[in-house]
Amino acid sequence: MGKVADNKAWFLVLPAVLMLTIVGVIPLITVFNSSFFDIFTEQSRFWVGTEWYIEILRSSRFAASFGRSLLFSAIILMIEIPLGIAIALALPKKGIAVPISLVVVSLPLLVPWNIIPIIWTGFLHTESGFLGQFLAGLGVDFNWKFNPVHTWSALILMDVWHWTSLVVLLCYSSLTTITGPYYQAAAIDGASRWQVFRYIELPKLNRVLMMAFLLRFMDSFMIYTEAFRFNAGGPHNATMFLAVDLGEDIAAFNYGPAAARSVIYFVLILTVTWAFNTALTQKSQKFTPVSG
Amino acid sequence: MSNDMQTNSGSPYFKKSHLKGLLIAPYLVFLILPLVQVIYLSFQSTLPRETIAAGDFTWINYLNIFESPTLTSAILNSMTYVGLNIVITLPLALPAAYAFSRFSFTGDKHLFLSFIACLITPPVVLVLPVFQLFASFDLINTTLSIALAHCLFNLPISIWVLESFISAVPRELDETAFIDGYSLPRFFIQILIPMITPGLAVAAFFCFMFSWIEVVFARILTVTNGKPISMAIYSLFGFRTDFGLIMAMTVLSLIPGLLLIYFVRNHIAKGVSVAARSSK
Repeated sequence: MGKVADNKAWFLVLPAVLMLTIVGVIPLITVFNSSFFDIFTEQSRFWVGTEWYIEILRSSRFAASFGRSLLFSAIILMIEIPLGIAIALALPKKGIAVPISLVVVSLPLLVPWNIIPIIWTGFLHTESGFLGQFLAGLGVDFNWKFNPVHTWSALILMDVWHWTSLVVLLCYSSLTTITGPYYQAAAIDGASRWQVFRYIELPKLNRVLMMAFLLRFMDSFMIYTEAFRFNAGGPHNATMFLAVDLGEDIAAFNYGPAAARSVIYFVLILTVTWAFNTALTQKSQKFTPVSG
Repeated sequence: MSNDMQTNSGSPYFKKSHLKGLLIAPYLVFLILPLVQVIYLSFQSTLPRETIAAGDFTWINYLNIFESPTLTSAILNSMTYVGLNIVITLPLALPAAYAFSRFSFTGDKHLFLSFIACLITPPVVLVLPVFQLFASFDLINTTLSIALAHCLFNLPISIWVLESFISAVPRELDETAFIDGYSLPRFFIQILIPMITPGLAVAAFFCFMFSWIEVVFARILTVTNGKPISMAIYSLFGFRTDFGLIMAMTVLSLIPGLLLIYFVRNHIAKGVSVAARSSK
């Protein structure tokens, strides 16, 4: 289906562009501008050039936080994307089980982010929590407060609980569009289950997976609320992620460094997204942001 | 959709439903177990009281919520800004989605990518300037400020969803309508919107979800007033924390979302799938 070339279409996108300029572009320019200043108050600010950037990029603290966030995102994506696809494939396709499982799957998505750590600290409590009691019963001394490996496992489990559903919902809805003839043709050709997945189902999922990847990467790379409320970056900075660092700068009213940090994060996220988008586009030649 | 599903289930790959049940059941239990604990605790008296022993079954936590003006107004605040956000986002997203679906214009691909860039901008990066900007318009402590700030991610998502839905509507429909003398606004209201109702439902669901659970903007934009549920729950932590009350509040925070899922459940499956189909 070809598109009509018509620049009057700009009038249709203009309201959305204006809104995103106000809530997105202008604040971003402000941040960029502040990042070159040492700011005491609104009136007294001093030009410091790229000093904050050099200071942040050279600090070992930044490198460590960056490494932790990258590792966390990588683990999250490696668990949630395949698990999400598997669950979506296994969900019932008809009958009363459909609405029930869809509602249960959606439940974790509806919990406000800062409530999630409350629920999970309760759930992991060794005396009253279901999971805590279970682990204690197994003889596991699960100490998420002081053992870094345990804190990480708890955060990852929490994130998998919270966000795999998003991948599931996106994939499930995309899978329901594959009609019977595709499967029948595959059966006649004697295709294995894996081949059906690889050549029929996976290509269908391409676009929604891109979306799931973008959303999950951004949110896990910039994890703040859950990590901070859970253990405040501890034990011994083991869960000091990029956004937790930034949160501390903002809380300490270090506007200049906070702004420089924000710009660095924004560029990091754009780069990874762009790289992933390019890789995916080259590999499949299928994903174009504007369909047509 | 039901047609697709029946043919699906008739295929040899959808017969091993018992095996799948074994796979899916543990996952559903894993999802529901932490919430079961929340519900269980919400019906317990967790503070020593004169009339009820700690650990006993009680409605008192729920009664306490409705007796507390702070908590009830927090529920109202959250619902107000989520509702406002949907009312602001959808009318802006619909024409933009229509433009992306039907026309090619100078800079359209770049514009679409910059919308995606807005979607992936972490809120924590923009919090300070957004606060300053809204403060200069006296919008701090209003639900409107949160609703506007949430457009940052909800508007791109809605455009993405609606664009796919509109692309699934044949172009001949537009052309016939314009030959019949429909103006663009009248075509939107009388023809296009009824055809893409599932798309609007899905977009509204995404707006609701991302707005309801967002806390970074919601916290910083409400200093003294207009606090959302998430912040009201946090203010309950103190010297003698009433966990039962917190859990009851958490349960209540789930109910609007559940109602919404129930109403749009058929559209969700059908809806995002149209998005996937039109990408081919």
